[in-house]
This record gives sequence, C-alpha cells and structure tokens, in this order.
Amino acid sequence: MLDVPGRKSVCNEFKEGGGRVAAVMPIHYPRELIRAFGVLPIEVWGPPGMDISYSAAHLQPYVCSMVHNMLAFLKTGGLDCADYIIVPHACDSLQGLGSLLVDFVKPPHPVFPLYMPRGKRPEDVEFFASEFRKLYDWLSSLTGKKPSKDQLMESILREEKADETLARFYDFRTEMSLSVRDFYRVLRTRQYLPAEEFVSFVERVMDEYAGDPPDGVPVIMSGIVPEPMDVLDEIQNLGGLVVDDDFACCGRRVYPAGKSDDPFIRMAERILYGPPDVTRGDLIEERFEHLMEKVKKSGAAGIIFYTVKFCEPELFDLPDMRRRLKEAGIPSVHVEVDINDPLSHQTITRIGAFLEVLV
Amino acid sequence: MKRDWRASLRYYWNVKVLGNAYLRWQRWKMERKGPPRKWRTDILAPPLKIGARTKELISRHYLEGRYANGHKPVAWVTSGAPVEILQALGYYVLYPENHGALCGARKVSVEIASEAENAGYSRDICSYARTDIGAMLSGKTPVGKLPKPDLLFACTNICQTVLFWYRVLAEHFKVPLIVIDTPFVYTSPEEHSIEYVKKQLENAVPIAEEVAGKKLDYKKLKQVMRYSRMAADLWLQVMERGKNRPAPISVFDQFIHMAPIVEMRGKPETVDFYAAMLKEVDERIEKGIGAVRNEQRRLLWDNLPIWYKLRELSEYLAERGVAVVASTYTMAWGELAPLIDPEKPFESMARTYIQPILNVGTGKKLEKMKKMIEEFQLDGAILHSDRSCKPYSIGQVDQRNRLIRDYGVPALLLEADHNDPRAYAEEQARARLDAFIEMLY
Repeated sequence: MLDVPGRKSVCNEFKEGGGRVAAVMPIHYPRELIRAFGVLPIEVWGPPGMDISYSAAHLQPYVCSMVHNMLAFLKTGGLDCADYIIVPHACDSLQGLGSLLVDFVKPPHPVFPLYMPRGKRPEDVEFFASEFRKLYDWLSSLTGKKPSKDQLMESILREEKADETLARFYDFRTEMSLSVRDFYRVLRTRQYLPAEEFVSFVERVMDEYAGDPPDGVPVIMSGIVPEPMDVLDEIQNLGGLVVDDDFACCGRRVYPAGKSDDPFIRMAERILYGPPDVTRGDLIEERFEHLMEKVKKSGAAGIIFYTVKFCEPELFDLPDMRRRLKEAGIPSVHVEVDINDPLSHQTITRIGAFLEVLV
Repeated sequence: MKRDWRASLRYYWNVKVLGNAYLRWQRWKMERKGPPRKWRTDILAPPLKIGARTKELISRHYLEGRYANGHKPVAWVTSGAPVEILQALGYYVLYPENHGALCGARKVSVEIASEAENAGYSRDICSYARTDIGAMLSGKTPVGKLPKPDLLFACTNICQTVLFWYRVLAEHFKVPLIVIDTPFVYTSPEEHSIEYVKKQLENAVPIAEEVAGKKLDYKKLKQVMRYSRMAADLWLQVMERGKNRPAPISVFDQFIHMAPIVEMRGKPETVDFYAAMLKEVDERIEKGIGAVRNEQRRLLWDNLPIWYKLRELSEYLAERGVAVVASTYTMAWGELAPLIDPEKPFESMARTYIQPILNVGTGKKLEKMKKMIEEFQLDGAILHSDRSCKPYSIGQVDQRNRLIRDYGVPALLLEADHNDPRAYAEEQARARLDAFIEMLY
C-alpha cells in the first residue's frame, strides 16, 4: 500500500514548525484565507468508527453519523492538537453542531461558524466575501496577524495551483497503476496537507505510478464521503473500478481559479462557482448534467449513490437523479451506510449484483 | 401568467358566488349550534366559537386554490417566507407545510406520504416534504385539489430542508424557484446578513412580477405589511392571554387557530379574524373560563405539534390537570410583529424574517424558553424531539438539561414526528408522560 502522510503527523509537524492548526468541519471554506494567517486547516470528516455515546449526550439518534462522530471525536480528545475550530454551514445538522459548540459544548478552542450562501448570484458572492472578512477579523484577533492584500493573493494563488494539480490528478487517473483506494488516499490528503506539499506529493505519485490503470467495470460514485474506504477495495474485488466521483469531500471541491482582483471576492467565486453541490442549492438539473459529463468523459457504465443515513440533502435528490439517469440509459444503485458500521455483506452483495448488471 | 377568461368565470362562480354563500351558511349554522364538541368537554372548555370562522377561512382558502389556476398567479411558499411581496402582487399563495399539517390532523398523512416513499423518497426526510411530494405525485389531498404553482418561493429561515424540497418541486413543475437565503443567526443578527436578505428580496421582485404579469404597487405592499403587522400583533396578544390563570386557551387551541396567521398574512380578513378571537378569549378571561377546567399545572410546549395526536394529548394532559399554555412554535408568528415596518418594507422584512426561532442559535432558544417559563409562570416544559425537524430539535437535549439543572424546571424530551405517526410509540410516550407528570406534583 502506498505510503501516505497521516493527518496527525501532518498536524504535529506543522505545529512543531511554529504554525497553528484549525480543525475544519465539512464542506466548503476558504483554505487560502486560513493559510494566510499561518494556520493549517485540517478537515474532520467524521472520522468513521467512533463511539457515539459521547455525542449522544447532545444529539438525537436521527442526526447523521458524520455529525455525531465529529462531536464524539472532539469530546474524546481527537481535536486536541487543533487551536481553533471552524464549522462551515452545509446542512441543518452541521448548523446545529456549530450552534451547540458555541452555546453548550463550549470546547477550549475558539469556534467560528461560517455561513455559506445558497446560490451563485452576485449578492451571494458579496455576502460570502463579507463572511470571509469576518473570518479574517476573527483570525486576526487570535493570531495577531493582518495579512496584506498581496499576502492574501499569494495564498490564493498557492491554493489555486493545488486545485489545478488536483484536477490534473483526476485526469491522470487513467494513466496510473494506483489502486482506487490508494488514489483516494492520495486525493484526500488535500484535506490536510499544506497546499505546496500536496502539489509536490501528487506530482511525485503521478511520476512514480505512471502506467496502466487497473481493469474493471467503470463506475462513478456519488455521495458525501467514501467511508468506510473498504468499499473501494470491495468494488475492485467484485470486478468494478471507480473511475470518477461526485463526492462532497472530493470531486465537488475541485474548485476553479477565481477571477476577481479583490481577494475576498475571489475566494467566494472559487467556492460558489465550483462543481454542482446539493448543499449549495444547485438545481437537480445542474447536478444531473454534471454527472452526465463525468459519465461521457470517464466512460462509466453506471453510478453508485453511496449516502450516509439521515443525510437529507442527498436523499432529496436521489429519485429525480436516478429517474433522469435511467432515461439517459445509465443504470444506478443506491447504497446507504452509517460510517460507524463496518461494510455489511448485504451492501457488498448489492454492489456486486449491480456490477453484474453492468457487464 | 396568462389569464384565461373561462378559468376566471369558473373562479367567480364556484368561489365568489356558490362557495362563499355555502361557507357563510355553514358558518352561520355552526355559530348558531356552536362548534361540534369532538373533544371531551368535561375536562376541557367547550371549543372556541371562533372555530366556525376558522373553518370558513381555511375552507375558502383551499376552495380558492382549487379554481386559482388560470385566474390568478399561484405561488407555493414556505411557512416562514416573506409572503407580503406575493400578496401585494395578487398571488394565490399555497403553503405545502400547512397542507401537510392538515393531512396530519386528518390522519391521512401516512397514505399520502407513502406515495412519495413508493417513488423513492426516504422515510428519513421530513414528513411534511414527503406528504407534499406524495400529494404532488398522486393528486391525493383531503382538500379536493391543489393548484399547480406558477412560482416557487422558498425561504431558508425555517430549515435547509425547504431548499432541497423546493428543488424537487422545481424539477417536477418546471417553474421558476426563488430562494431567499437567510443566514443562520448563531448569536445576534449581523448587518451584512440583513443587507444580504434585503438584496435578495429586492431582486425577487422582478421575477415575481414577470410571473404575475404585473408590476408591484408599492402602496399596496405597504398596506399588506400593515395588515401583516396588525394580524401578527393580535395573534401575539391572543397567545399572551395565556398568562392568565386559568389560561383561557391552550397551545392545542393555538395549533388549531394558527393557520390564518401562517397562510393568510397580509389580508384584512386575517386581522378581523384575530381581533374577533382576541375578543372571545377576553370574554373567557372575564368569565373565568380556563381551557383546562381543572388547571393545576402549566407547561411550555417546544417544537412543532404532533398533528395526529392533538386531541389525545390535550385530553390526556387535561385529565391530569395539566394545561399547556405557551409554545415556542406558535409564538414565532407573533413575537416579531414589532419589527414589521410598512414604511421600510424591504429592510424590515429582512430584519423580521431572518430571526424566527428556527433560525436562531440553540442558546438563544433556551433564553426564550426561560423567559416564557417566567412570564407565563410555567411548572415545566415538554420538548417535542421531532424526528422530521432537525433544526428545531438539535439542541433540545442540552436545553432540557439546562432547564432542569440551571433553572430547576422539570422538562421532558418527547420523541415523535410532527406528521408521521409511524415514528410515535404510544405506550412509550405515555409512560414518559406519566413519569413526567408525577414529577410536577
């Protein structure tokens, strides 16, 4: 298995170098702004396999396991290495988590809830930029730093380069001998590696692993997060191959470069004009067209919707997305998981049966 | 919207002539005989006489909807949406959530929601949304027929669910969707957030005008806002009468009579209705009539009603001398009345609609509950942990704990769902209520 730097070691190394760390919850936030203050954002997507009795003291059982785990992780010391916590607004459950942290849980870390507007109209861009200015002031008050416009632009360009590398890594996947699981392990280092280290790491992987990709029935996965990651191995064992994704933690965050000279507006543009995402309010039609582009580009024979239980944003779109795909001749299957459960045999059988249909 | 003279003719004949006459006659009959006593009057006060008018208003509203297409523009809106703009443009406004509640109260929500579930919608999504989507897909409704929308108008101040739900409606009906995004108020409303909402409202006007085929008359908008404020203020006064001992109305009465303030804000008849309701409630106070005949203990209700259990819960509690006299939910449509300023329509709409209880932080909500407990002199609180409403429910575990620990107020977390009886365990709920009531005495 490919050697990939882990979150904890990256966090410790960064702090040993005199930097600070912000634990950031899903989904969209301005990495470049946080980095401009010498703070490294390290994302918290769960993690899977937590003991949710710690979060159950605050959250009802009908809240998704992602949010339960974030809280359980915090309460069991998982975020002790972080100096700050940032909670972007993505759904009602993350909104609730942000509010709980501010009002009741009150961790030792300062907490910043960041509201993401639902749309890409001029007023949405302007509002998001205002939220970033507020985040700038907050970080400034905590770090004592006031990055200049040039420093902000420098940070933005660094992250834009990392996102451009990320996009190239996606395009290059058909020319690499990496297993799907390793491909996603590398890709997900974008969630915690400093941008410049991510770029050099990915470049190195692309050089070292240039070659024929694994074989398999090509499929696309869509959802929030590919957890447990065993699912990627299982798909490959069953004769399938994940050739692209529409995951909130991966493919939906291949942000384009911004255009504005105003750093705050530019950061807002990058996120709001990114690939369609249900949590940002993009229409079902836009999501469908985006998926169809991916199907055409990757030659995928089918789509696996892989959702986390109780994730309303994903669940609302499914019937119409699947109907549209069916009309376009693209088969799909829906699999629902709780990220604390191991991959069930039932799920594996379901995916296996779906792959057989595609052959 | 293209107006069809045949549709207008049908509208005038069926609504204005036949419908109005029939509904007035029905109301007159009910007022003479008194509203039907379906609930136990040995432990509860007789139903409010205003019930005859509530029935008339709601029936007329849905009757109008039945014949609205082709005669007036139709908008489907969320319950916390700044509807004044649409009212001023002459839209017929339908609230799918209210329709969902009506289906719940008539105990047909499971049948209708099943239509959505059979089409692939998960039972883990909001039961209002499932009921609405089920009605959309099957045409099933207890009100005869729902009009098709020409415009969809969703405001995120009650939840993000409406954003996902209305995208489904937009996909189905292929009509414009206006989203008014109201940033969540974690601590206090911020100026850049208010400015953002204001801009969205201003930018919504040309879209709503284009669909309606007419320009917004700003004088009319101000008038609509005046009616909105008057009705909200009267509704607030009605609820505040619950401070009297015995409380003249319970929250169960409020749940039944809140429909006009939710779906008919900005109309003169709504103002008249709540003025009449206030008068009747004051008469009850003068006569010393309590909603619960033997009021011993007084409670707060938090979160949405359990629509399919209104009568059962009301009677069960009344039997034990418990009156539920205040609710954070019904209060949401009254408490912001002072913020409505007809002279500054867009700014005041932005300020008002950004901070209903569902769009403010968990700590703010606890403060509100504490204030209500003090002002209404309450002995405890029931927090309905509503499986279908995450924004209202997340935070309740801590809120309950704080009420007990910091304020010494007994509080119960009651697991249920506002519209799906399949998520309500009768025996378990009763056992919990029994234990809770024991603590009150």
